[in-house]
Amino acid sequence: MKPASFEYVTARTVEEAVRALADSEGEGKCLAGGQSLVPLMNFRLARPPLLVDLGQVDELRQLRHDDDGSLVVGALVTHREVAGSPLIAERVPLLAEAAREVGHAAIRNRGTIGGSFAHADPVAELPCVGLTLDAEIVAAGPHRRRTIAAADFFQGPFTTALAADEVLVEIRFPASGAERSGWAFCELARRRGDLAVVGVAAQLERRGQRLSARIGLAGVAGRPVRAVAAEAGLSGATPDAASFRAAGEAVAASLAPPSDIHGSAALRRRVASVLTERALERAARRLEAA
Amino acid sequence: MTEQARPSFIGARVKRLEDPRLLRGHGRYVADVRLPGALEVAFVRSEMPHADITAVDAGAAREHPGVVRVLTGSDELVAGREIRGDWRGEIWQTSAQPALAGDRVRFVGQPIAAVVATSRYVAEDAASLVVADYRELQPLTSARASLSDGAPLLHEGWTRNFFRHSHFLGGDPDAAFAAADGVLELRTATQRQTGMPLETRGCVADYDVVSGSLTVWMTNQMPSVVRTSLADVLGVEENRVRVVAPDIGGGFGVKAYLYPEDVVVCLLAMELGRPVRWIEDRREHLLAAIHARQQEHRVQVAYRADGKVLAIRAEVLVDSGAFSVHPWTAGLEAGNALSLLPGPYTIGDYECDAYAVATNKSPFGPVRGVARPAAALSTERAMDQVARATGLDPIEVRRRNLIDARDCPYTTVTGNLIDSASFQEALDRLCEVADYPQLRRQQAEAREAGRLLGIGVACYAEQGASGIHEYLRRGMPTIFGYETALVRMDPSGKVLVEVTTHSHGQGHETTIAQVVATRLQVPLQDVRVVYGDTSRMPYGMGTFGSRSIVMAGGAASAAADKVRLKLEQFAAHLLEISADDLETVDGAVRAKGAPFRSIPISELARAAYHQPHRLPQGMQPLLEAVSTYDTERGTGTWTNACHLALVELDPGLGLLDVQKYVVVHDCGVIVNPTIVEGQLHGGIAHGIGGALLEELVYDEWGQPLSTTFMDYLLPSATEVPRIEAHHIETPSPFSATGSKGMGEGGAIAPGPVLAAALEDALRPLGEVVVTELPLTPERVLRYVDEARGAAADASGDR
Ligand SMILES: Cc1cc2nc3c(=O)[nH]c(=O)nc-3n(C[C@H](O)[C@H](O)[C@H](O)COP(=O)(O)OP(=O)(O)OC[C@H]3O[C@@H](n4cnc5c(N)ncnc54)[C@H](O)[C@@H]3O)c2cc1C
Repeated sequence: MKPASFEYVTARTVEEAVRALADSEGEGKCLAGGQSLVPLMNFRLARPPLLVDLGQVDELRQLRHDDDGSLVVGALVTHREVAGSPLIAERVPLLAEAAREVGHAAIRNRGTIGGSFAHADPVAELPCVGLTLDAEIVAAGPHRRRTIAAADFFQGPFTTALAADEVLVEIRFPASGAERSGWAFCELARRRGDLAVVGVAAQLERRGQRLSARIGLAGVAGRPVRAVAAEAGLSGATPDAASFRAAGEAVAASLAPPSDIHGSAALRRRVASVLTERALERAARRLEAA
Repeated sequence: MTEQARPSFIGARVKRLEDPRLLRGHGRYVADVRLPGALEVAFVRSEMPHADITAVDAGAAREHPGVVRVLTGSDELVAGREIRGDWRGEIWQTSAQPALAGDRVRFVGQPIAAVVATSRYVAEDAASLVVADYRELQPLTSARASLSDGAPLLHEGWTRNFFRHSHFLGGDPDAAFAAADGVLELRTATQRQTGMPLETRGCVADYDVVSGSLTVWMTNQMPSVVRTSLADVLGVEENRVRVVAPDIGGGFGVKAYLYPEDVVVCLLAMELGRPVRWIEDRREHLLAAIHARQQEHRVQVAYRADGKVLAIRAEVLVDSGAFSVHPWTAGLEAGNALSLLPGPYTIGDYECDAYAVATNKSPFGPVRGVARPAAALSTERAMDQVARATGLDPIEVRRRNLIDARDCPYTTVTGNLIDSASFQEALDRLCEVADYPQLRRQQAEAREAGRLLGIGVACYAEQGASGIHEYLRRGMPTIFGYETALVRMDPSGKVLVEVTTHSHGQGHETTIAQVVATRLQVPLQDVRVVYGDTSRMPYGMGTFGSRSIVMAGGAASAAADKVRLKLEQFAAHLLEISADDLETVDGAVRAKGAPFRSIPISELARAAYHQPHRLPQGMQPLLEAVSTYDTERGTGTWTNACHLALVELDPGLGLLDVQKYVVVHDCGVIVNPTIVEGQLHGGIAHGIGGALLEELVYDEWGQPLSTTFMDYLLPSATEVPRIEAHHIETPSPFSATGSKGMGEGGAIAPGPVLAAALEDALRPLGEVVVTELPLTPERVLRYVDEARGAAADASGDR
């Protein structure tokens, strides 16, 4: 459990980091919190010849809201900051709630939102919330910066739309435009702090008399997915126990999850349904309280 | 002055004397042994569960810069270096585990080559360049598969795939079954689990070419025994081998073996004439340190309508892995299961077949609890089923079956001699301190509100401090029947105690000092307890089997008595009083009834060394003594306990929340309650791990799937509930201090307790029998479905 040998450089700006990646012909890797990359290297499942440490790139630490009302979270913002930030609690409370489920305090202190998105573990909480809220990912490459919709960003297990010479700069959560909303993140983890077996992000939004729902799932496919049928079933419906149960059933019907030692496909499908129902119930309580 | 008035440290909540060192990070572990010029080893391990090795290409590894030596299984250096552990019983088939596999591999993780390099990093780089070719053989991945007809035989000369088979018949089970009001059958299963110390295994070997002597620092719970084993396997004279087991970060049984890696590291140091070091990583630990616990039982129980269990018939299959381990053998676990399955109950008619079955998995050995968790799962689940069948409360059924403490010493049907106990009293206390009736009310109210609360109980008797008689009876090749202590008072009156047990979490530096300080009547801080270096210590067995306070405490107590006697004889000479009229109290030897006629111990000690002319004729100057100790009949001690848990089930997610955990525990005379409770808490955490989380999973092709801490889940602070412990102290008539061994017991009960609690929680949904651990969400949801299905069937019948 010792990594293979590698070179290490520190970048001070996004441009420096991009150049270093480009110079390594796409073999180099960014180092953010190291909470996923370093274990992979110790197991020699990853053998990057070059690590580009982003730790000193100040631009990546930003946390602000833009004029268009969207919330911008820099790649290096840690899970702990996400969980505790008043700004995030106000603008995207679903993200804050999900961040509290990530690992243990020590991991949240180091792990970053950018790292979590770039790593793209199919069971990770934050990418699931990103997809649920239609977040946009800003990536910087050697020639330009581009914005990628979350739906296009997550492509499969540990696979994203980021090119080998691109740095993830920030994640933008657009304003929902809802007058009121209620949210919840629920998951099954074997122990507190473990990666989820299944996670469900739910947000209920009210615009005038119209109710709409967003439901995202982690751990049921190679990447986070939206429960499209369940969302459609809830739109316009009265948010009550029966509709939430129906949503849970719709979720179960739509999935063909993978199996591993923590949960068979059948377990994941069943639990996804239960968690969807619970997340919607909790979201509805918050919607009412809002 | 009366006996009671002597200052005594027995029973005092003394803070652990080792803690200032350990908690500040000043412990010195094997990985801290840094010798100049040391080389590091990385092992190449088999990726195949069962295969012939057709070729190993180590060429590229040898060329790699920084590599000093690449050793493969076909190398002369390891030829014939085999580890054996042979049970001495009738039906036994042997195995020989090679230090490095040369022609055949039998489990994934078995070492096939060792790369020695200037650093572990370089060694791992080169290890990944070693390429082995295999011809695959059919892997045997379960005990049942191994025993099935036509299964390939795992070892040469075998007739079927088991190491050991034992049949036991006691009383007349046939008659009891015929006379019974009811008979029920259970199939229980526990999965592979192991001991997971914070510190992994490690071994640093240093060979002095000039003197031909070998020093080995290793993480080992039994330094004397492993020194002998090393001398045997390496062919080095034992008086030139020194084993040092320094601070060790937990053992739980997994460090009580001679492992192939230890042998290889020593051979390399001897060949290269340079220190060689190997520190196991966590993946290696999960792959190749011994595994434990995996058993499958088929149990038939005959009972009477009044809840009395008359007889048990059982078949026990232990999935013992690929090789028999040294020195415990693959036979121990199966034998313990057979011997202990009747539990703390008066079951007189019993028949059992126990098999230690060979499979293509990591070798299997004793770990904290040794077979008792599986045995208790069967016994206690049987009690609960009898309760259900007879309509009695589970507590009441146990009360009607427990051995009456007044009958102790009590010989069980399998010949275990229970020295003393408080079975009934402990159960009554449990009901009282947990307020059992109130818990049942709470449960009923919760059920009204649609919540699923369950209560589980279990009782056990923990065999500990096994002595000569017991190890002989078990057919062990080495009879671990005694421990040794050296007590040395120096000219200042300070005391050094060297014990042959090893402390790696148990707090011997404190408890043994409490025993010796009490016997010698010196201040606690004047007693220093050391252990672990065979160049200093006398020969003894080590720490395992819940034995240290009884065995090392007994030996230290006896050695201290010899020193005290000598002090008294010396004082008698100086005071011109008969030694019979003297007593040692609070730092001085004095005349009984005339305490002003006294000599401080420190003065006697100084005189004994520096003024030998004052000694009586024929008395030798030194104040030191060595004693060995075994319990009075060599049958050991029996701790007893009852555990109770209250859980809430989340039937949607299959999660159990342990809301209350209460223990009533009797380990005889408690030397230090804080340490006893610490051992109990640790044991229960271990047991909860086995009940809910920990499982070393192999797939159907024999590939291990739990090779990281993301897959092998240990209970952490958030999974271990607050544990409430209450004590009863029934002294052992067989041990010097009245204490009983208790280090393993905590791990025995959580499995049956939580299984019972789940079953009880499920009752409003339907009746099921919970028999399989660990209770992962997957298994729990299966039981939830089963309960609902049972209820549906039942209503369909009506
Ligand atoms: C014990 C433990 C428990 C955990 N539990 C959870 C959990 O419950 N839920 C969960 O979601 N995660 C969990 N994690 C993972 C943790 O959240 C990681 O922090 C996160 O997945 C990666 O973030 P990081 O900053 O540590 O990234 P790193 O480990 O540094 O990098 C991860 C990957 O992302 C790339 N990368 C990082 N930043 C950028 C960037 N700005 N641009 C381009 N590429 C980048 C790296 O090159 C690498 O490939 C756990 C980790 C541990 C060790």
